[in-house]
Amino acid sequence: MKHVLTLLSALLVLGFTVPASAAPLRIEITEGVIEPLPYAVPDFVAENSAASKVAKDLARVVAEDLSGTGLFREIPAGAHISKITSFSSPVQFADWKAINAQALVTGAVSLQSGGRLVVKFRVYDVFAGQELGNGLQFAGTQDGWRRMAHKVADAVYSRITGEGGYFDSRVVFVSETGPKDKRKKRLAIMDYDGANVQYLTNSANIVLAPRFSPTGDRILYTSYETGFPRIYVLDVASVGRRVLEQQTGTMSFAPRFSPDGRTVVYSLSQGGNTDIYRMDIGSGRSKRLTSAPSIETAPSFSPDGSRIVFESDRSGTQQLYIMDANGGEPKRISFGQGRYGTPVWSPRGDLVAFTKQTKGRFHIGVMRTDGSEERLLTASFLDEGPSWSPNGRVIMFTRETQGASGSSSLYTVDITGRNLKRVKTKGGASDPAWSPLQN
Amino acid sequence: MNTGQYISGIGHIGLIGWLLLGDAFAPAPEPFDVTEVAVVSPEEYERIVGMQQPPETDSEAPTPPQPSEPEAPAPQPVTTPDEPPARPERDPKPETPPQDDSPDVTEILPPEPTEVQDEPPEIAPPPVEDVVVAPKKSLRPKPRPAPRVAPEPVAQPEPEAKPDEVVREEVRKDVAGETQKDESDATAPEEAAKEVVTEAEDDPSSAPVSSLRPKTRPSRPTAKPEDTATDRRSAIEKAIAEAAGPDAAPADTPEAPAGPPLTAGEKDALRVSVQRCWNTGSLSSDALRTTVIVGVKLFENGKPDVGSIRLVSSSGGSSDSARQAFEAARRAIIRCGASGYNLPKDKYAQWRDIEMTFNPEKMRIK
Amino acid sequence: MKHITRAVLLTSVLALAACSTPDRFSGDEVNLGGVGDPGSPSDPTSPAFFQETVGDRVFFTVDQSNLGGEAQVTLDGQAQWLLTNTDYTAIIEGHADEQGTREYNLALGARRANAVQEYLVQQGVPSSRLRVVSYGKERPIEICSHEACYAKNRRAVTIISADYNS
Repeated sequence: MKHVLTLLSALLVLGFTVPASAAPLRIEITEGVIEPLPYAVPDFVAENSAASKVAKDLARVVAEDLSGTGLFREIPAGAHISKITSFSSPVQFADWKAINAQALVTGAVSLQSGGRLVVKFRVYDVFAGQELGNGLQFAGTQDGWRRMAHKVADAVYSRITGEGGYFDSRVVFVSETGPKDKRKKRLAIMDYDGANVQYLTNSANIVLAPRFSPTGDRILYTSYETGFPRIYVLDVASVGRRVLEQQTGTMSFAPRFSPDGRTVVYSLSQGGNTDIYRMDIGSGRSKRLTSAPSIETAPSFSPDGSRIVFESDRSGTQQLYIMDANGGEPKRISFGQGRYGTPVWSPRGDLVAFTKQTKGRFHIGVMRTDGSEERLLTASFLDEGPSWSPNGRVIMFTRETQGASGSSSLYTVDITGRNLKRVKTKGGASDPAWSPLQN
Repeated sequence: MNTGQYISGIGHIGLIGWLLLGDAFAPAPEPFDVTEVAVVSPEEYERIVGMQQPPETDSEAPTPPQPSEPEAPAPQPVTTPDEPPARPERDPKPETPPQDDSPDVTEILPPEPTEVQDEPPEIAPPPVEDVVVAPKKSLRPKPRPAPRVAPEPVAQPEPEAKPDEVVREEVRKDVAGETQKDESDATAPEEAAKEVVTEAEDDPSSAPVSSLRPKTRPSRPTAKPEDTATDRRSAIEKAIAEAAGPDAAPADTPEAPAGPPLTAGEKDALRVSVQRCWNTGSLSSDALRTTVIVGVKLFENGKPDVGSIRLVSSSGGSSDSARQAFEAARRAIIRCGASGYNLPKDKYAQWRDIEMTFNPEKMRIK
Repeated sequence: MKHITRAVLLTSVLALAACSTPDRFSGDEVNLGGVGDPGSPSDPTSPAFFQETVGDRVFFTVDQSNLGGEAQVTLDGQAQWLLTNTDYTAIIEGHADEQGTREYNLALGARRANAVQEYLVQQGVPSSRLRVVSYGKERPIEICSHEACYAKNRRAVTIISADYNS
């Protein structure tokens, strides 16, 4: 009897053909939305009373960093239902879900005697109800609290997006004052968000286009200190400088480091002709890389140091070319309508950013290193001189406004073209160069 | 019986046996670490936390003189070594503080992969939940402020309303493309409402009580087979019952009606529902090149069993980018399924197990 | 003119003329007095004369560094003056308007300055007396953002300075 029943049920099941173990339903999702991810970062917990101010300040800088990317949207404290009062207490995810915070950053700070600051944080995926990765703890001096906030934000950003961070970085630029025909320029360095500005030169001489070394310890720039534009290298820590190229009858400018920090590639003008040279910084020996009667300038190394992208007007108008880092036949990569200049290779190696002039307007754009997929990210009266963030996701550049009262400012834009915004600087600013991520 | 029938019988029985017992086999391995965690009682948790005192390594180097500014800091990342049972606090590893010349010590990124896996994440979420397995309904409201998540979203107290408005407004401003705003409008109030009606109420099995917690992953092998086993048994029982007679009503136990095949329209509705919550805006370009297939089980009310969401496979990227892509997909499934996907109950068996392929090709940053 | 007169005039010019440093930029007016006074614009040996009567600058079209007819006339005059007043050296500043990127404009200014230098050398001025520098778009004379101003900024200016070492 049992036999028959088993057999009967087996047959019946199969008779219905749709077993519970059928192949799962398969659907394909190919479109989604693109919007800033809502997150919350309540004030960090102050583990001792001395830390209460910095605990709040830290959380604010983290929020400014994240929201400043345009990829995150903060749910402000006023909307929070529960408070984080202890770093180790369990998180009431329902409370954060209720306000639609998809990510939550919690932190704790203690400020010990001697100014030693310890900062801990965690980041949670609220809807999945779990921590994302593992939290971290930093220790340092109180003075360095902003850097610690940037490091927290970098870790959170990186954990959620998968991109490397870029908040713990500095920018060297030219600080400008005065009217267009009597501009005073001096080198300055600041945190990427505009804080902690330091001046590196006085404004007695025109200085132009500073660039960081790969480790951020030195800066190359052009100065008219001798009456002629010449390239200098400056040590950031000591602010000491020395000239690199000073042959009589020549002018040099547009210097950039190689990725190993040992070579400088630059432009040298002699007899009215401008070409690209490279120099070993240690020995001072230089080598000419181009010898065309046209203007060759604005060179930039690829991140692996094997190639150089630069601009040349050998075709009649300024265009972009790529050549081997030791010279050799350049290959043109720009073909659109207009003039292309100031190419800069992305630290990820995949894109070249540039300035394009067309129909009386200036644009910052990017293209693949073979010249394909050109995209313009900005448009204005005068945008120029892009510089890449350490993670290759954001570009900073100079925007100058027109007319007698025009002035220069620094702007950033995401490589998708979104989130264009001004970098806060006191007074005018131009020629920004982004440092690598600080270690 | 002749040989043919005999063989056929064996075959059928074998098939049924496989159906019943198949899930005892291990689930597909995941590309990233699954952590084993010990369940800790609240008392033990308190004890562990109390005993925690992270000693800190002091390896600050003297700062070089700066032109005119206070020095940049010497932040050190300090990570904790493993120590079961996991604690929320972390002991700094006694690493040799790197170079004295550079004040800046950073091993933040490296430590992450070497980070202990059997760590707090599992504990930090309320241990309270662990203990509460049996009396799920009575204890459920405790961690969740049930009153605050009362059904009417509109009638929410101030804090609720604000997030709603914030959500609504800002979504409009921030939209830069083909985003749809409705889901944000709908979601916030809906979430509030749905909290009350969480997994606990409608669950056919007890497993989902702890399904929100990551530690359910290890427990999933036990939970799932129970779950599906129950369902399958019910399905078979139902099939038998139905076959037995036209007036055989579906048993009260949750069943898995199969019904006629799902229509394209129904499948499409599901797809569209998930799409609204799939936010690729914060994904890296690597993750945007990664296609992930995510498996999920839905309860009969259409809500996803959060603990069942798993990465089935990925292609086109590294394991890191797969993780990011998976997390975004998971958020999409959870958020848009918060009040249950709109699928016909009478075809439950067909949509109980779903594998969704998230292909970001069209969403890519060029 | 007698040698003594010339010497006296030169000496007074030297005494009166400001030493120019290479990175001073042109545009400063020099007015040293009335007609016929030594050092005044009507004194053919004065820098003022060079600036105002001979013409110390030439202009270029957009992106170009070639010298048009008018420019050549001016430069002929400059060459003449320099050959006559041998105690002066000159530094030629090349400039560009703001409608270009920074490095390219530096290079363009260099081309323009060099074009002037080569022309003067062709007219017989020893190259040892000439130097070139480029300011790119850093030192505009006119600051409106229209062609009327741009045209004035696209220039090469010859700045003479007394050479105490000759």
